[in-house]
Amino acid sequence: MIEAIKLTKVFSKFTAVKDLSFQVQPGEIYALLGPNGSGKSTTMRMLLGLLRPTLGTARIMEYNITSNPEDAKRVMGYVPEEPVLPERLTGYEFINYTADIWRIPRGEKREKEITELLTLLDIEDASNDLIEVYSKGMSRKISLAAALIHRPRVIILDEVQAGIDPRGAATIKEIMTGLASQGATILMSTHVLEIAEQMCDRIGIINEGQMIAEGTMDELRAQARGQSSLEEIFLTLTGGPDMQRIADYLGEVT
Amino acid sequence: MLPVIGAILVGALIYTVVVSIVPIFWADLVLFLRADLGIAATIFNAILLFGFAGSIMFSATTVGNSARMEYLLVMPMRMRIIFLEKTIVIILYNCVLWMVIGFPILLGLGTISTYPLALLAAPIFLVLVFMLVTMGVSIGGLVGLLFSRLLAGRRTLKQIGYFILSTLAIVVSVFWYYSFYFSDNGTVFFDAIFRIADMVGLSSHLSPGYTVSAISIGLVVGAPFGIPDIVAAILFLIIGISLVYANSYVCEIAHYSGWLASGSQRTSKSEFRINHTSWNPRTYLPFTFNTTTSTSIWYNIASIRREGRVIAQYLVGPIRWVIWIVLPGLYMADQMAAFTPYLFVAALIPFATSYGLSFAGYELVYEGKNLMNLQLASANLVDYVKGKVLSATPFVLGASSVVSIMILILYTSMWPLLPAVILGCVFANLVAGSVAANAAAMGGDFRAERKITRQRGAAVQMPIRGWSMLRATLMPNIVAYVGVFSILGVGALNPLYAYVALSAFALICYRLFLSYSRSAGRRLSQIEASEYL
Ligand SMILES: Nc1ncnc2c1ncn2[C@@H]1O[C@H](COP(=O)(O)OP(=O)(O)O)[C@@H](O)[C@H]1O
Ligand SMILES: [Mg+2]
Repeated sequence: MIEAIKLTKVFSKFTAVKDLSFQVQPGEIYALLGPNGSGKSTTMRMLLGLLRPTLGTARIMEYNITSNPEDAKRVMGYVPEEPVLPERLTGYEFINYTADIWRIPRGEKREKEITELLTLLDIEDASNDLIEVYSKGMSRKISLAAALIHRPRVIILDEVQAGIDPRGAATIKEIMTGLASQGATILMSTHVLEIAEQMCDRIGIINEGQMIAEGTMDELRAQARGQSSLEEIFLTLTGGPDMQRIADYLGEVT
Repeated sequence: MLPVIGAILVGALIYTVVVSIVPIFWADLVLFLRADLGIAATIFNAILLFGFAGSIMFSATTVGNSARMEYLLVMPMRMRIIFLEKTIVIILYNCVLWMVIGFPILLGLGTISTYPLALLAAPIFLVLVFMLVTMGVSIGGLVGLLFSRLLAGRRTLKQIGYFILSTLAIVVSVFWYYSFYFSDNGTVFFDAIFRIADMVGLSSHLSPGYTVSAISIGLVVGAPFGIPDIVAAILFLIIGISLVYANSYVCEIAHYSGWLASGSQRTSKSEFRINHTSWNPRTYLPFTFNTTTSTSIWYNIASIRREGRVIAQYLVGPIRWVIWIVLPGLYMADQMAAFTPYLFVAALIPFATSYGLSFAGYELVYEGKNLMNLQLASANLVDYVKGKVLSATPFVLGASSVVSIMILILYTSMWPLLPAVILGCVFANLVAGSVAANAAAMGGDFRAERKITRQRGAAVQMPIRGWSMLRATLMPNIVAYVGVFSILGVGALNPLYAYVALSAFALICYRLFLSYSRSAGRRLSQIEASEYL
């Protein structure tokens, strides 16, 4: 499970995340939902031990990420918002490289698993192309395959669906639901409301680094009294578009 | 703004020094300079060479990354103009240093001089330097484009090309400067041009550097440089300008045809899809290392940067060193012939250490975001750094073997010492690599890669900052020179001693390698993500 305890991150003077707490249980898919720049990625990086929290801490399974980062990292898999990929390797080589870095013993079992993952994600065809030729969606799929190669029990996905074709998105959804039902803890971020609505058990809405609402869809509905779609809830909570400015702009253009 | 003020201050300082000191021996200087107007040809030809070596892959990289400047390419103008602009920025950047140094010197000499046209020397010098750099940079760009065309889509060949290029650079730069210092004004290199020039009746002193020297110094000391020199200068200027234009025109063609674009899975000529065979991390070495180290070795060799700026950094650093320090030092020695083999060794060493710097230091920094993967996997970064350092070993082994074979051909009697030289270089490279990795971990600009891809001043951005960079270059070179020349020194008494010295040197190097790798690895594992993401 994931447990964020009063996480705060200050970059020089700017507070990107402020006093953020939430829990994700094993078997659960949790969405961090928020506008651009609201602190989703920063929160995830703190959970992963990539950034040191300014205040607060986090627990991954039974491990404290600040005092025991090695064990905590060992159980996590992460697909970053901007996949970090070596362009001069082929996709297959990259997966192999990642597996080596994770010290997964070589052999038939590993080979088979890699092939399975690549086939599942529809990128087996491209696995012998250099990564520099990959499209955004393909990069993300390779990155996902690499993140799953060591069978993590805690999975963190940062806007994983961006740039992925509908079939791919559906596949990811099925894989994640499946892994969750096997007991994995899954945290994902998105600003696409349908994804959060369809895929996730619980949703945390954050704005300017702070949690402003949290719960299942039903609970959120209850909180936002009467509004039925997540879009309405979201816009009510984080502020809707500035209609006056839009009208002004359109007026100027024509 | 600060660099401008700095440059003006430096210029003013140089000017002051010149006008206050030179008058003391002005009369002698005039006699000396009039005797041979081509005296500074070496330096001026070197400017051209620097321009060339420093921008050899620049155009290819610019075109290759053109997807990253689509925002510029969509502007309503000819694409070649945009590429031209990029090239001119590089040219200007390459000019600045020479102008800041050269202009005040000539201005000072012009002030002292009593010859009527002497004051013209300084402004004309600016134009001439621009001409030199323009030629160097555009030839470099074109050569790079040519190479990239040949290598497009061929990964293994690129790897080999990297090796060949660096070995060639050692050999060529030694020969080129050998000829400058010991025979004439570097005419060997321009032989082909001379022959054509002779046919059309121009003087044989026709290297660009000679022309610049003759005209600027000629103006100062009031010595008549001939019409041919002026014609040559104009001709070189025209050639330079045509070359820049040709360069940007070829860039445009290359861009449209798409064979350079990173991201093309096919060569443009055929429908053939490039399918890269997978490289297996562990099969290429006779030794076995632990998984992390061997993976790191393999990764580094498979993905080492070959873009312009990196090769430029790699080549220019040692070439500069060899040209300004090693060779003049040997020039002083009268008994020239006996020193030639040492000249090769002296030239080889900075290249050997430079492999370490670029494979372990620069690459570590350019790996930037990949640090995230390593930190997430809790990889043992000490082992990983060792792998990076060791990945340069085959290249050093190759380059030093090639140079040794050349020495062997020239001085067969050296044979008992050559294996010691090769191994000495290999071990020195371990020190260079681990020191560089440590410097990178301390002062690496892990976002350097992104800054560079913005295209402007591609060769400018140093991946390692300030003092760390100095530390990364100075210490390993000192170790290498002291070590290898001690080996050669005692080897001159008895070859057997050389191997005793080598064992001691190897041991020291290995210890340094272990301790610096350890320190580098520890630092890297503690770097916060905000440093590289
Ligand atoms: N390394 C950093 N230094 C300074 N500010 C940062 C850094 N990383 C992120 N930020 C800022 O923190 C805020 C939250 O960023 P982020 O977590 O990436 O948002 P999200 O993922 O929700 O779009 C943004 O305003 C961003 O500019
Ligand atoms: Mg984000």
